[in-house]
Amino acid sequence: MTTSTPRAWWKTGVGLVLTGLMLFPVYWMINVSFTRDQDMRASPPHLFPTNGTLDGYRAVLDQQLPYLGTSFLVGLGTVVLTVALAAPAGYALAKLRPPGGPALSFLLLIAQMIPGIIMAMGFYAIYLTLGVLNTLPGLILADTTLAVPFAVLIFTAFMSGIPDELLQAAVVDGAGRLRTFWSVVLPVSRNSIVTVSLFAFLWSWSDFIFASTLSGGGDHQPITLGIYHYIGNNNQQWNAIMATAVVASIPAAVLLILAQRYVSMGVTAGAVKD
Amino acid sequence: MPSTTETSTAVRDQGGAATAAPPGPPPSRARRPSRWWAWGFLAPVTIYLAAFYAYPLYRNVELSLREYTVRSFVQGGAPFAGLDNYRTVLTDPAFVPTLTHTVVFTAASLAFQFTIGMALALFFHQHFPLSRTLRALILVPWLLPLIVSASTWSWLLNSDSGLVNAALGVVGIDPVNWLTSPGWSLTSVIIANVWIGIPFNLVVLYSGLQAIPTEMYEASALDGATGWQRFWGITFPLLRPVSLITLLLGLVYTLKVFDLIWIMTKGGPTSSSATLATWSYRLGFGNLLPEFGPGAAIGNLLIVLALIAGLVYIRIERRQQLR
Amino acid sequence: MTGLSRRRLAAVAVIALAAVTGSACSSSADGPTDGGAYLVWDPYPQFADDSEWVALLKKCGTSAGVSVERTGYDTTDLTNKALLAAQQGNSPDVLIVDNPVISTLAEAGALTTTDDNKLDVSAMEKNLLGAGQSGGKTYGVPIGANTLALYYNKDLLTAAGVDPAAVTDWTSLTAALTKVKAKGKKGITFSAIGTEEGSFQFLPWFWGSGAQLTSLDSPQAVSALTLWTDWLKQGHAPNSVINNTQTTSWQEFATGDYAFAENGTWQLANAEKLGFSYGTIPIPASAGGPAPAPTGGEFVSIPVQKNTGRYETSQKLVACLTNADNLLTTDTTLSYVAPVAAVQERQATADPKLKVWVEAVRAAKGRTGDDLGTKYPKISEALWTAVQSALSGGKSPQQALTAAQTAATTR
Repeated sequence: MTTSTPRAWWKTGVGLVLTGLMLFPVYWMINVSFTRDQDMRASPPHLFPTNGTLDGYRAVLDQQLPYLGTSFLVGLGTVVLTVALAAPAGYALAKLRPPGGPALSFLLLIAQMIPGIIMAMGFYAIYLTLGVLNTLPGLILADTTLAVPFAVLIFTAFMSGIPDELLQAAVVDGAGRLRTFWSVVLPVSRNSIVTVSLFAFLWSWSDFIFASTLSGGGDHQPITLGIYHYIGNNNQQWNAIMATAVVASIPAAVLLILAQRYVSMGVTAGAVKD
Repeated sequence: MPSTTETSTAVRDQGGAATAAPPGPPPSRARRPSRWWAWGFLAPVTIYLAAFYAYPLYRNVELSLREYTVRSFVQGGAPFAGLDNYRTVLTDPAFVPTLTHTVVFTAASLAFQFTIGMALALFFHQHFPLSRTLRALILVPWLLPLIVSASTWSWLLNSDSGLVNAALGVVGIDPVNWLTSPGWSLTSVIIANVWIGIPFNLVVLYSGLQAIPTEMYEASALDGATGWQRFWGITFPLLRPVSLITLLLGLVYTLKVFDLIWIMTKGGPTSSSATLATWSYRLGFGNLLPEFGPGAAIGNLLIVLALIAGLVYIRIERRQQLR
Repeated sequence: MTGLSRRRLAAVAVIALAAVTGSACSSSADGPTDGGAYLVWDPYPQFADDSEWVALLKKCGTSAGVSVERTGYDTTDLTNKALLAAQQGNSPDVLIVDNPVISTLAEAGALTTTDDNKLDVSAMEKNLLGAGQSGGKTYGVPIGANTLALYYNKDLLTAAGVDPAAVTDWTSLTAALTKVKAKGKKGITFSAIGTEEGSFQFLPWFWGSGAQLTSLDSPQAVSALTLWTDWLKQGHAPNSVINNTQTTSWQEFATGDYAFAENGTWQLANAEKLGFSYGTIPIPASAGGPAPAPTGGEFVSIPVQKNTGRYETSQKLVACLTNADNLLTTDTTLSYVAPVAAVQERQATADPKLKVWVEAVRAAKGRTGDDLGTKYPKISEALWTAVQSALSGGKSPQQALTAAQTAATTR
């Protein structure tokens, strides 16, 4: 597509406004993270943190860094496990159409409906018996339940678009099922893998209910639990809470931007194949 | 018009997520008579489902069929109550209003999330400077723990010191009691939920758009189709499978939203923003003395609602495949 | 879906269920508590491992000759966790929970009584201990208490010509609010949110009117709710109170725009950071004098264990946590009032500002007391719902409370 430069920049302008609107609540969170306690409920509210304070950030830098590390590990683990479980399943459901496949898709759908708190209580009972409460693998496993059903459905939807001719060509070349899956289906599905990974990562990153139920007391607590340092029995330190959220979103936002570049690259690569 | 027929076959050949319709089932089925071996690919996920979803589900069903008190919850021996818990819930005067709120909340959230998400996806699909970065930034709301985003919204919507009312005041509109009046509370939680749901719709629909080959648009541009015609003639039909999945997942996620509402209004004032999900939570966990039975019963009713939606989805999908 | 796949779906579900029920039955009964370490759960996630509180726990463990493993949970989460752990036979050795939860856990049979665990509770103030008693048995020891009073903005009251000492009943309080409003400032803020917090804040006014929790629709109760509703109608209190937590309400007070705020002992440390001078008065009763406020604060309890031999050490741990010196440390960090008269004296001597609070705690009343026990949660839910519907204009105070009484007494 050829776009003339002035028209493209005009669109950038619109894009900036739209992004600004969407991100306004995020700005407000940043604003509150710098606000002193006595200004929190000022009426009319301060648009900028005049008389700002760095107390919130001081508290976060002192206490929160290990939590960020845990969140990263848990996020990566969730991504790997989710893709490993869901990609083959999506392939089978989309392309191999086994008997009982629709029933399984249906079960996956129901699985997503179970309220998070019920899932968490179930896991708690299982983990307590197995003795894997407060461990990283335990939390990773639980967090994948947020993403796996979704991932299977997304993989199925996207992989059903892979031309059958492509798969048959691989079979003609003498590739087995696994080989076809590994060296044809997966590379072509790069786009959906990145999409699924992104979702899996974000869901585990912002998960609170599993974290609080399954790792509440351990040494491996993710950042969403770090916030609970500032929520006491009777009062909350809002600037520190918001500061934690801000600090927690910066690395994740960077990751998002990088992933987005990769999505576009994956698409071009896929197009070249055809 | 001959050119359109050509383009539609081009889609088939090109593939892409948009063409979910299976390419001619009869011949391939004849070639491979038994497909049970395909379960090899499904085995991991099946075992996983059985291991981690079945137990909580079983537990929830069991909770709803017995008459649990805190004592029998801990000590065991809760008497079997059949459908008593369901009867209690269904005959509760709060049931009909709560169900209505759930339907309104879900329908309104879905409609706005999807439309706005689609509009943004189409907008960002045009390549312009910074488009990728801006698109990534729009996803930031997602990174936030729900307790933070929901609290931020209740901050913005506060009656006395909220920015929204301050802004309304500037243009001369009287302050609205967004979270504290029964007439507005449901609208307020819908607004926040739409905001949270936009990134999800944007990402999935955008990936769907990526899969539509650009040649299709070029061909229709030659035919002299306007942007609007192109959307309804090409984009929308080709995005249908992805749109359906997005809506279905959106429905499932929206039905069970409780934390957002819980943090913003606790379902109040006086249940005016309570949905089945918050009601279930309030009964089971939001009180000093939990009522597990009715709480679990409502949870199961929600699962049934999603099940119906799933059946409808399968029906639509099948009809599409037959076409 | 075809009939065939539906049948398969059922088959899959049955297999899955069988697998799970099988594994659930075979689950081993012994938990991690059989090891050497003693588990302590508390609702103080804000205290990290290097805090004084955790140091105290370790120290008590050392003097009892055992190691202590402590876990801090979010308070709303702790009730469910404790119930689940009890169900799985995996309770911690020592459990610290919010006082109204004690009666629920006791009802569940998850806690030992002082008869079983031999804890000495004789030094504790009777009104505080009440929340941990039911059916003549005592299920825990208070570790510290807090309650509510009215904080006021001195500068603002002076400007409005109000003498805080003259605010002794509802009439004089409302008169003071009117004077403040005439100066263009706001009157009072509190929390009327639809949770236990809302009931906690309403109770001083409810009890101060002479109403009883057993009769929510009495004329006295209606007068208390009418007081709040009228404040909202006349603009003395902001509409946001309907959704305010106690923290939000404190933030409103901290802006300096409000003359009064109903809040608790735990805000004392924050009060020192206010940008104006403040004072506190007891919440007045309708006819004058201080109204009974509800007691807040946590209890230390010893959950039921399979291995009853563990109680002896647990008892030593609890005794250590609640001895006079340690109570003083703990309650100073938590900004609570001690549950023992002698320690209260020491607190008041060390910090004269605490004197008002010590008196308030002595006059305070347990929510689950009056032998309400596990009836209280139901009553409380009905009460906060009534407050919400009256304040948001849905019902009149009388209608709201009549509905509440029906809700609290049925089922």
